[in-house]
Amino acid sequence: MRQVAFYGKGGIGKSTTQQNIAAALVSMGKKLMVVGCDPKADCTRLLLSGTRQPSVLDTLRDIGPESVKLDTVLVDGYGSVKCVESGGPEPGVGCGGRGVITAIQTLETLGAYKEDLDYVFYDVLGDVVCGGFAMPIREGYAEEIYIVCSGEYMALFAANNISKGIKKFAERGYARLGGLICNSRMVENERAMVEEFARRLNSKMIHFVPRSKDVQRAEINKKTVIDYDPSLPQANEYRELARKIDANEDFTIPTPMSQDELEDLMREYGIVD
Amino acid sequence: MKFTCNQTLPERAIHIALKGPDGACQRGDGSGCFIASNSATTPGDMTERGCTYAGCRGVVGGPVKDVIQLTHGPIGCAFFSWGYRPHLADSDFHMKYTFVSDMNETNIVFGGEKKLLQCIIEASNEFPEAKGVFIYNTCSTALIGDDGRDVAKQAEELIGKPVVFFECEGFKGVSQSMGHHVGNETIFRQLVGSVEPEGDFSRAINIIGDYNIKNDLRTFEYLFEAIGVKILTRFTGNVSVDELKIMHKATLNVVHCQRSATYIADMMRDKYGTPYINVTLWGIKHMSEALRATAAFFGLEAEAEAVIARELAAIQPKIDAYRQRLQGKTVFIYQGGPRAWHWIELLRELGMETMTAATTFGHDDDYQKIFDQLSPGALMVDNPNVPEIEEILRDRRPDLFISGNKEKYVAYKLGVPFVNGHTYDTGPYAGFVGMLNFARDIDKALHAPIWQTLRTRARPAPVAHHTSHGFEEVV
Repeated sequence: MRQVAFYGKGGIGKSTTQQNIAAALVSMGKKLMVVGCDPKADCTRLLLSGTRQPSVLDTLRDIGPESVKLDTVLVDGYGSVKCVESGGPEPGVGCGGRGVITAIQTLETLGAYKEDLDYVFYDVLGDVVCGGFAMPIREGYAEEIYIVCSGEYMALFAANNISKGIKKFAERGYARLGGLICNSRMVENERAMVEEFARRLNSKMIHFVPRSKDVQRAEINKKTVIDYDPSLPQANEYRELARKIDANEDFTIPTPMSQDELEDLMREYGIVD
Repeated sequence: MKFTCNQTLPERAIHIALKGPDGACQRGDGSGCFIASNSATTPGDMTERGCTYAGCRGVVGGPVKDVIQLTHGPIGCAFFSWGYRPHLADSDFHMKYTFVSDMNETNIVFGGEKKLLQCIIEASNEFPEAKGVFIYNTCSTALIGDDGRDVAKQAEELIGKPVVFFECEGFKGVSQSMGHHVGNETIFRQLVGSVEPEGDFSRAINIIGDYNIKNDLRTFEYLFEAIGVKILTRFTGNVSVDELKIMHKATLNVVHCQRSATYIADMMRDKYGTPYINVTLWGIKHMSEALRATAAFFGLEAEAEAVIARELAAIQPKIDAYRQRLQGKTVFIYQGGPRAWHWIELLRELGMETMTAATTFGHDDDYQKIFDQLSPGALMVDNPNVPEIEEILRDRRPDLFISGNKEKYVAYKLGVPFVNGHTYDTGPYAGFVGMLNFARDIDKALHAPIWQTLRTRARPAPVAHHTSHGFEEVV
């Protein structure tokens, strides 16, 4: 079982990319579980055709920890991907980070980590803001991490920050960076810059996902691209990305940059004047 | 059965049940359902429950005698969990110190992992005689997501001794009961089976669920040894971390506290195939049964009968004398969990009858065991609050109240003789010889001259005391 975590700046397309990869891996015959680690509980929407299953934390609150059963919170989505959302508090209250810890521990207690799974995906909200959001990369959980980014400054800034978090865990002997996924925003020089950024992070850009209106079209229909129309060119992009991840054996300890270095890089590639 | 004090708290009704004249359960809400237990405390209920941290640090982990007991959290968590439970041991180190990572505002904001690691190293340098470190997580450090498991792993490599991290954050369960569970699981996962000793363990047993309160172990260890078995590990009373590592070698687990320690017996049965028997090590009948059941497992029945006969010959005349003085008295037992059912039979042996039994964190199986032993007309209360305890003492007028120190002065104020069953007045109370101590303490409580003095000379308690709790005026 390979456990994989996806991090990246909010709004960069983490959940969309992750679900499209999941759908592509399914088409390769893989068995998956996707664990949404975001209080908004929207990490499995495309795999579940828009239906919302009860989140782990909502269920814990509503019926109590003794009554929670695995099949209440674990729902089969596209291609039998096991979908689960940790859920969490409304914006502005409670502690979302603790929510992620509680949800993952509950899944473990309930026996969600079945031996026949090929992959467990963790789709984690934004930055590694506190200890709770680092739970998926603690020992015994995700060993490989992919950062979704684009060529925009804020996306790379976030990716650099996340790398600092990963470095902390990686130096303890687990959790490695598997690469950067560039979810293109049609920024000038984007591919070359993200490649260089990845190189300086001691990693690689594993795939450049070109911008395509088909992703949005599929999303409006509450589907992944492969589910919506497997013949689309964009479906091939996700298959290619999934194949690269499946074959990836190159995992590194990232070397995050200082803010000045990051800004110099942006200048070099003509993003910052 | 309704409590006046619960008029504003109707949710309490399902936690109160009477054994009807026909032996059926009559619950407080008017249904025939069994008493509700092990559920979250109702808001507004002045519960006496502890937390998951208390159950893990205070009950299961705390008695381990040769480890540094380190709380990862604010300093108050360490002080208020230290030294209140007399789980004694034959070690100078034990219970003398408590350790804490002393999390303050800055540590909470920036994370406490580095400070925790530093604490472990400092403490282990300062006390090289310690054989390991037990770390207990608290609410605050769990909330900020400190990865204590990883710190423990790093520390283990640095100090070369076992470092065990208990994920026993206080908010985890509904009571301290969850802490017992966490303690069992963590010790089982981290320590049990980590060493494979050589030797003959064919007659080795573990005593599971005795915490050596006021040296309880001394009252029955020699009995087991006299029938020809060897006690390998005591989980967890007067026990060393090295003994926990090898407890999987035992041939039989003898489970005493069936609330806080059945978990590890179950895990050992599943992983190592070690069978276990449930016993009670208080009272003549139960202690004898425990020895007989253990002996039967090893084919040592004749030895057991000889031991029992010898012991009974020594104590029975004294017990009989106490029974003369205690005959016909009624008792209200309120304990954390299983003692409420462990003692019903013992008290009958002293001629006394339990008319009310309550526990702080008992589960369904505990109440079933209580219910089976109680006589018709007796009452069960789950997780009683202070006004309920007062009302029981005032309206049901037990001759004796057996509970913990925090209920002692309520009992005295209401003129009810009291024995501290939680940490014992002058224990130990277990085994045959301990029962004499128990009987002596009960006799002293019941026949103290103060009660006669109060009857003839004391002024009645002020009315305000009762009305402040919503009681009607006592005339």
